[in-house]
Amino acid sequence: MKAALTGQRRLIGLGALLATGHQAGEASVPFLIGVIIDRAVDGGVGDLVFWLGVLGTVYIGLSFGFRYGARTAERAAEQAAHDLRLQVTGRVLHDRGGAETGRLPGALVAVATSDTARVGAVAVALVWGTAAVVAVLFSAVLLLSISVPLGLLVLLGLPPLMWLTRLIGKPLEERSETEQEHGAQASGVAADLVAGLRVVKGLRAEEAAVARYRQRSQVALTATVRAARTEAVYQGVVLTVSGVFLAVIAVVGGILAARGSITVGQLVSSVGLAQFLVGPLSTFGWVGADLAQGRASARRVAAVLSAPVAITGGDAVPATPVHGRIDLRVRDLTLKIAPGETVGVVASDPAVAAEIVRLLGRSADPVDGLVELDGVALTSLRPGESRAAVLAVEHHTDLFAGSIVSAVSLDRAEPVTVHAAMAAADADEVARTRPDGLDDGARTLSGGQRQRIALARALAADAPVLVLHEPTTAVDAVTEARIASRLREMREGRTTILVTTSPALLAVTDRVLFLHDGTVRADGAHGELAAGDETYRETVLA
Amino acid sequence: MTTTLLPIASGRRTWAAVLALVKPRRGRLAGALLLLIAGTVAGLVAPPLLGHIVDLATGGGRTGDFLMAGAGLVGAALVEAALAGFGVALLAQVGEDSLARLRERSVESALRLPLEQVEKAGAGDLTSRVTNDVAVVAEAARSALPEFTRALLTIVLTLGGLAVLDWRFLLAALVAVPVQAYTVRWYARRAVPLYARQRVAVAAQQHHLLATIDGASTIRTFRVAGEHSGRVAARSQQAVDLLLRGVALQTRFYARLHVAEFAGLAAVLATGFLLVRGDTVTIGTATAAALYFHGLFNPINTALALVDDAQAAASGLNRLVGVAALESPPVARAETTGAPVAIEVQGLSFAYEPDLPVLRDIDLTVRRGERVAVVGSTGAGKTSLAKVIAGVHEPTGGSVAVPAGEVALITQEVHVFAGPLADDVRLARPAATDDEVRAALAAVDALDWVTQLPDGLRTEVGAGGHTLTAAQSQQLAFARLILADPPVAILDEATAEAGSAGARLLERVATAALAGRTAVIVAHRLTQAVAADRIVVLDHGHIVQIGRHEDLITQSGPYAVLWQAWSGTRTHPAA
Repeated sequence: MKAALTGQRRLIGLGALLATGHQAGEASVPFLIGVIIDRAVDGGVGDLVFWLGVLGTVYIGLSFGFRYGARTAERAAEQAAHDLRLQVTGRVLHDRGGAETGRLPGALVAVATSDTARVGAVAVALVWGTAAVVAVLFSAVLLLSISVPLGLLVLLGLPPLMWLTRLIGKPLEERSETEQEHGAQASGVAADLVAGLRVVKGLRAEEAAVARYRQRSQVALTATVRAARTEAVYQGVVLTVSGVFLAVIAVVGGILAARGSITVGQLVSSVGLAQFLVGPLSTFGWVGADLAQGRASARRVAAVLSAPVAITGGDAVPATPVHGRIDLRVRDLTLKIAPGETVGVVASDPAVAAEIVRLLGRSADPVDGLVELDGVALTSLRPGESRAAVLAVEHHTDLFAGSIVSAVSLDRAEPVTVHAAMAAADADEVARTRPDGLDDGARTLSGGQRQRIALARALAADAPVLVLHEPTTAVDAVTEARIASRLREMREGRTTILVTTSPALLAVTDRVLFLHDGTVRADGAHGELAAGDETYRETVLA
Repeated sequence: MTTTLLPIASGRRTWAAVLALVKPRRGRLAGALLLLIAGTVAGLVAPPLLGHIVDLATGGGRTGDFLMAGAGLVGAALVEAALAGFGVALLAQVGEDSLARLRERSVESALRLPLEQVEKAGAGDLTSRVTNDVAVVAEAARSALPEFTRALLTIVLTLGGLAVLDWRFLLAALVAVPVQAYTVRWYARRAVPLYARQRVAVAAQQHHLLATIDGASTIRTFRVAGEHSGRVAARSQQAVDLLLRGVALQTRFYARLHVAEFAGLAAVLATGFLLVRGDTVTIGTATAAALYFHGLFNPINTALALVDDAQAAASGLNRLVGVAALESPPVARAETTGAPVAIEVQGLSFAYEPDLPVLRDIDLTVRRGERVAVVGSTGAGKTSLAKVIAGVHEPTGGSVAVPAGEVALITQEVHVFAGPLADDVRLARPAATDDEVRAALAAVDALDWVTQLPDGLRTEVGAGGHTLTAAQSQQLAFARLILADPPVAILDEATAEAGSAGARLLERVATAALAGRTAVIVAHRLTQAVAADRIVVLDHGHIVQIGRHEDLITQSGPYAVLWQAWSGTRTHPAA
């Protein structure tokens, strides 16, 4: 947190100075009202004009202080949050990974947005907190200069009163908050039902869904009405306490004025200052809460920034040209793939298939084994270089917003390659039906359309070694067969590993490695294995 | 497909709808307003009492007099607190009641909308109406409405109080009004579009961050971290700039209000000064006037600052009422009466857009209890055929007849409803007992893993709960189908998203769930076709082949070619 805010220390200092000016001005207004009332008793019109001039000057000062103080504070806060946000994003995208381990994407987004914002908000809290301290001191000087006993009454009476209000108000506020949270759940149910609208419609379950929402809505209604009542009680308590305090000040001040210890104008000033002081004193409350929240958020941000990396290893660069020989040894599994081969890898255990893809793509490094490219361990290579040579696309892969062509080319592949890749993956048909491109991370595309664009992207990268994990599970059988043969053509001469159980894809490979019970059970052409191996047939054809 | 947003009600229409909502609660509304008025009046007793104390002080009053005035102040505070408290609570209740009624009606019409219309509008439009718009209006009803009402009452009644003290004080106070009126118009003109842009920018930033973080693994795989970081930075900077412009606008707004404050305060003080010197009013009255005016600062700031919220709430209301007022006539369907025939499709054609027919001249008769698989490449019209038979779309030509009762449609889209797992399944039949739910789960091979969940049937699943795999989610979908128990079920690639290993399990599960039902299955793996009674091969909206698997593989045609590629028998003739 310190590092994030010291970057903004100039803005924070300037903001605090300006905000202090604003608060001092606000404190002066009730004081000046009292002064002008005194002049009404014994002064001339010249006095009135003079003091109204003073009041005007104070207003210009306080307005200026607020205007630029608030802007400076917010700028410091936003800039600090922005810088942190970029650091968090940078850490998440780091090529050795690790920030996502044990954190859901939603939680990371919350760190990158809410937590960074809360750390930034500490700048605002510091600015107004400093101003509030100065405002209290300034008011104290004004009050004590009017009358020591009255000043002491205000200064010593106000803090315990505010503490009392807080004591009564806190549990009420907390209750009201939990009840409101309850209310917010109804909105969650509505969003959930609309998200599942197709399921609801498919089952003709509209009545049941409506009944479910109505029930949650009524629960929420009860909760929010109760919350509103609690809130009303709290406000009532605040009104009463401040009313009583005001009455005490007025009575004591009135008696002092009647005895001639203070003027009536000073009485009015004191009452006004007592009312004003509630502002800066309650500032301490939220400043304290913001500082605590800021610290908690800063810890979460720091935890992400200092998360251990997922893969270690060297920074070597692979020898060029990459031939594409792959040797993989994990536990009892040994896979040898020659340069330029198109090989199918079928695993009866889906977890093994996913593990092999992760190891080849350096999402993880082998604990007990070795993966080599052209005889060099992948772990000795810089992750980026390793992935440039061996492109391993996991089954779950994301598409990003933009035009379909840029989603495939990633703004770097040659147009000719992109065109060929889109044709091979049958993605050109998707591009035709979606002239506006992808928005929303392609959420509105069907599973099959998404997979075809992702496949085109993988092909367009033109990597020396390409590893695909179940790339066509949502593509219909007719299209899949067409894609399989074009894919084979496009990858001719370069190493291609298809980790899949799809017969259509396996049919175009040179040979298939069948992994079963922790070893390579069979090695042969898809047709041979399908005809000869019962377990293989069950895995791919059943 | 062009998007057609859902209707947005006009201001007048919304107003009428709001009046209709409030009408049955008008008694309580009037009560709330009376309580608030009485409470505000009680609070306005304080400044004259303070003025009275000032007069007592100048007149050298006795301690007893001061104490009496002090007691009056305490009493006024108590009465104000009590009346305003009750008033606010009652007002909130009226607001919340009406809002609950409105949101229920909106969600109800949303859920009854034809799927076709929702898809044209995009699901996002509907979701944002039943969540964001409800939240904005709720926030307004909960805090802005009572606050605004109180502030407005305080302003009006304080001005009245000033007039009671002396009419010249009222005139002096009104000096501030033109400045304030101008400021609000000036602000509203700039703030509304700016905040709209701000909301869009912040939402876009969130969205983009989520996409980036969600896709971190893909970004690493394709080595595009630099581009994505750059885009995040650009979006974030854009949001920051707009937020700061908002802050700048607000500070300019307050600077103008400061001018109004000073002008009014100076006028009131000068008036008091002159009236006191002319012996028209006492110093106490002048004090009360000054305090009245000083007390106006906060409510005026509150009321003016709430103009934003009011505008946002009004546009939210328009959008909510727009959905709530929609009527959805049910799709008229012909019914098959002949006992052996379940689905009768005759001369069917269908098009999303007039000149682009998706289905042409489809004739298909499905016998009761028969399972028909539909095979074809993307764009052949498989899904459209499923949707037309299920009644999601109306045919453009020809006819579709289905049995009286229900046709269920299960798609590849898996959705797990948030809440206890049993409630998710029970959505299909709310009256189902726990035993029936269990039986349905057992039938789809799910009971084992369900009982192993932390809280068994009561485990919270879906958003915010226990995460289920795609295959498990689809098992729940089939369990729902069993509970709903429709005579006809349409499966649209319902086993596609689970990956191959999951697909095998799901195909077994689907078979169990479809037992005793007439089924049309949009097949995505050929194994589904093999198991079907008949196979329909679609190409460019036409039926090109129809028959049993055993027959089709021996005929020359697209299906045989497909099967050879699939089973690896192209190079090794069938054994």
